[in-house]
Amino acid sequence: MKLTRRMLLASGVAAIAAPRIALSQEGPIKVGVLHSLSGTMAISETTLKDTMMMLIQEQNAKGGILGRQIEAVVVDPASDWPLFAEKARELLTVSKVDVMFGCWTSVSRKSVLPVIEELNGLLFYPVQYEGEESSKNVFYTGAAPNQQAIPATDYYLQELGVQKFALLGTDYVYPRTTNNILESYLISKGIPKEDIFVNYTPFGHSDWSKIVADVVALGADGKKVGVISTVNGDANIGFYKELAAAGVSAVDIPVVAFSVGEEELSGLDTSNLVGHLAAWNYFMTADVPVNAEFITKWKAFAGENRVTNDPMEAHVIGFAMWVKAVEAAGTTAVDDVRAKMYGLEVPNLTGGIAKMLANHHLTKPVLIGEIRADGQFDIISQTEPVAGDAWTDFLPESAVLDSDWPGLDCGMYNTETKTCVQIKSNY
Amino acid sequence: MTSWAGAFGPLPFFGTNMRKFLICLALLALGWPLAALAQTVADVAAANRDKIVKPSRQTIGPVIDALVASGDLATPALLAAWADKRLGLRASDGLFFILDDNGEVWGLTSLAGAAAGDAPKGDIVVLKPNSGVRSLIATALVQFQLTDPAQVESALASVARDPDGANLAPLRAAIAATSDGTLKARMVRLERLLTVGFDEDPKARVAAIEGFGADLGVDVRAVLNPLVATTRVAGLAAPEGNVARRLSVGKDISPVEAYDMLVAAGMAPARLTREDQRAALLANTADGASGGVPVAELNSEDARNRAYTALEVAGTVPFAATDDEVAAAVVAHQFYDVYNESNAQVTVAAAAALTRVDRAVGVMQAADLALDALSLASIYFLAAIGLAITFGVMRVINMAHGEFIMMGAYVGYLVQQVIPNPTLSIVISLPLAFLVTFLAGVALERLVIRHLARRPLETLLATFGISIALQQLAKNIFGTQARPLTAPGWLDGAWVLNDVVSISYIRIAIFGLALIFLAFFLVVMTRTRLGLQVRAVTQNPAMAASMGINPDRINMLTFGLGSAIAGVAGVAIGLFAKVTSELGSDYIVQSFMTVVVGGVGSIFGMLAGAAMIGGLQKVIEFLNPSNTLAAQTYMVLFIILFIQFRPRGIIALHGRAAGD
Repeated sequence: MKLTRRMLLASGVAAIAAPRIALSQEGPIKVGVLHSLSGTMAISETTLKDTMMMLIQEQNAKGGILGRQIEAVVVDPASDWPLFAEKARELLTVSKVDVMFGCWTSVSRKSVLPVIEELNGLLFYPVQYEGEESSKNVFYTGAAPNQQAIPATDYYLQELGVQKFALLGTDYVYPRTTNNILESYLISKGIPKEDIFVNYTPFGHSDWSKIVADVVALGADGKKVGVISTVNGDANIGFYKELAAAGVSAVDIPVVAFSVGEEELSGLDTSNLVGHLAAWNYFMTADVPVNAEFITKWKAFAGENRVTNDPMEAHVIGFAMWVKAVEAAGTTAVDDVRAKMYGLEVPNLTGGIAKMLANHHLTKPVLIGEIRADGQFDIISQTEPVAGDAWTDFLPESAVLDSDWPGLDCGMYNTETKTCVQIKSNY
Repeated sequence: MTSWAGAFGPLPFFGTNMRKFLICLALLALGWPLAALAQTVADVAAANRDKIVKPSRQTIGPVIDALVASGDLATPALLAAWADKRLGLRASDGLFFILDDNGEVWGLTSLAGAAAGDAPKGDIVVLKPNSGVRSLIATALVQFQLTDPAQVESALASVARDPDGANLAPLRAAIAATSDGTLKARMVRLERLLTVGFDEDPKARVAAIEGFGADLGVDVRAVLNPLVATTRVAGLAAPEGNVARRLSVGKDISPVEAYDMLVAAGMAPARLTREDQRAALLANTADGASGGVPVAELNSEDARNRAYTALEVAGTVPFAATDDEVAAAVVAHQFYDVYNESNAQVTVAAAAALTRVDRAVGVMQAADLALDALSLASIYFLAAIGLAITFGVMRVINMAHGEFIMMGAYVGYLVQQVIPNPTLSIVISLPLAFLVTFLAGVALERLVIRHLARRPLETLLATFGISIALQQLAKNIFGTQARPLTAPGWLDGAWVLNDVVSISYIRIAIFGLALIFLAFFLVVMTRTRLGLQVRAVTQNPAMAASMGINPDRINMLTFGLGSAIAGVAGVAIGLFAKVTSELGSDYIVQSFMTVVVGGVGSIFGMLAGAAMIGGLQKVIEFLNPSNTLAAQTYMVLFIILFIQFRPRGIIALHGRAAGD
């Protein structure tokens, strides 16, 4: 081997650079937390930030991951959807986080998508959503429509004998897409289109008297009426207050909500809401040891009066999976971690196992709960784990689509033409 | 009879139920089905354990029937406990118990009614039937509860919710036995509803329908509407049954729909599409001809149809209808709407009753809409009245006005933390909110607005900044969760004129509060020395100062007053909506809109502005019920147009009062 000046120079540079590389390997692993701490969604998202802080603290107490401590980088996108994209970019380029846990509303997730796909980031999204999406850079730890909306509708049809549906939602992408799916699902189940009443209200809406009167009037033809609510955020408070004032009890007109959990109810006087329903994949009342242990830890961390809810469970599962994947990969590099995610299994908090699927969704049991006077839920129905479906089978244009990242390296694969429609999720 | 002994084991139970037992014995003597008596309710429950533990509305019916049919006197107690989520299954031996919550443990009572000690909560699986199952249980319980004064309410509620023909006889018996006037009236009404739906005798049903007159009740309409529901049928002649009307093709039903009906009913072959015809003819081409027609001649629709018909006759292709055949089939058949209800007298009476009801419902809906509009207008008015003083009179653009509303709501919440009695706490928080926001307003005026006098742009920016700061401050102090502000019990519920027109009491209270503030504003401005000085200072500060009025002091007091009124409004708004840090920003746009549309500086203009905005919003919502957001957008568009034509609002001030 001949020593040249160039080689000498190179080795000299390497000698200077080497300690720096070693140093960055020894620095903390950074986890970005991208939840609104102010604005209309803060009511729901602040708790998720606290959950992440608790999980990170707990993992650090166990010695961190790969021998390194975890450092949380918390930003506040303030319920301002474009700001979510800004903050995500800041987390990836300035703070250089290894992974992000965040977002609640679908519109915030949609605004983050182009950024993380451009910079190859990794996001764990913990909330039930409308589906019709599978990004290479997002793991969806909340429920897809077939894990929440469809089973809840089945419950209405079969168990409550509902024949007429009022689909009430806040006016943005999640309620609109979910209601589209539900409408075509109901029509496929033989409910005529004129028996489906749809209404959209703005964020923070408070004048519900007319809408509640419309819903009550639906019962005039002798059919049993049920409400499916995708109303989000604090607009729910006015809605439930008006329902109670109108004397609508859950036995007359049941309301099943997809965005109301223990946390949202803690701001409400629930005595008039007893018997109304919510569909989630987790309730605080789940009577299993692993849940009791989690609740104890949470109360010790956040306060005795705090409650737990479904998106928190999603973060618990997502974080546990990410830790496992990082340990298996031996690095936090996004592509390596992602490869180790598929097929990972961690226990959920309702006594089952959550498995990460090739379409970046989880298997989850579907639970239906009835609101109790103390703001908790009585679990009245619990299914076996259901595999999350990124593309719904109930809209003709998406029934043919499939998502399989490890197998096909595609999140939008047309099974009829056998082609990948597109890789990026800017649809 | 051993099972009887099991059911009545302990003597005291036997004693209290002596009368019922005697009735049972009498029934037994009258030939009550013996097979049913062979089992106690506990046996039936044990036999159906799995279905009872995991019930589904679709399969539980027979089990409930079997429980009731056991004739065991313990049945009602079991059913009531089950519906109440007080029935438990002991995991160790699979026995059912009725549970009492004794703190750490469940107190157990056996199905036969015997006390069975305590059990730790972990040993018992509490059964939680869903509300579909519970309503079936409630229906089965009705016959037991109607005679019990303590439970008759819940029995009647169950009958109203899930009308069931089986309850008609027990209800009639209960009416005869009731002396309570109001209770009897409710029972008679329910009996009529059940009669319409389930009685065997058409005359009784018609009489019941006519008995309702133009009753607007949703329950009446819910019974009548199914009676006039129709099914569409097709046939070669008039169908059997209660025909509503014959449909004329082309007018009531399109030819396409008519033929689709025939196809769906299997009375005609499917349509022949061009592609199918072409494929069929091509497939059957032989010796240069298809279906006996030479290929060269198959260039016309007519020839192709002829060829296809020949193939149909030969049996080589399935029957399918060409356009001519479709038209012929539609002409050959008749189409009818047939009532699902078989009795013509009943349907005629129901249709007539519905026509009466619909007319009344239309009128009442208009009234309800007007009431809703009035209520919304009063909320906007209440939110904006403070602004009428700070903006309308003083011309200060105060973007933090909404935060004074929020502050008032939080004062209400805080007072409720100290004084749990809702009525008392509201009575205290109204003046306290007035005081707190008055001081906050005075502080804002002294510290900021005074220094920016006559510089509207800077005032706007400064107050906007203060608005954001106050919101964040509220978040830091109270957190981001919505805080509960519970209305007193007497404000719960709604004033109900009938099933169409109703308005919640809390909205009536807000309406009343808005009126009080209107009067307060008028009195202060026109009848007090302060009002006179305020008007003098706003019209000409220099002249007012030379008359011995201190303009600085007056400005401070006026701004404080405007803020204080916003604070009181905040308590009211918090009661009906929610208490969050965003509460104020939800109302700031509407408040400015109300003042500007009404006419800056005129309280009656503002009243008209609030009425117009509230009314308009409700009318647009009525026309477009599926999208409330769109209604708000249309309203803002309308207001922009309106301002083009009346730039000074509905009531414009003239002369010196206009201030410019």
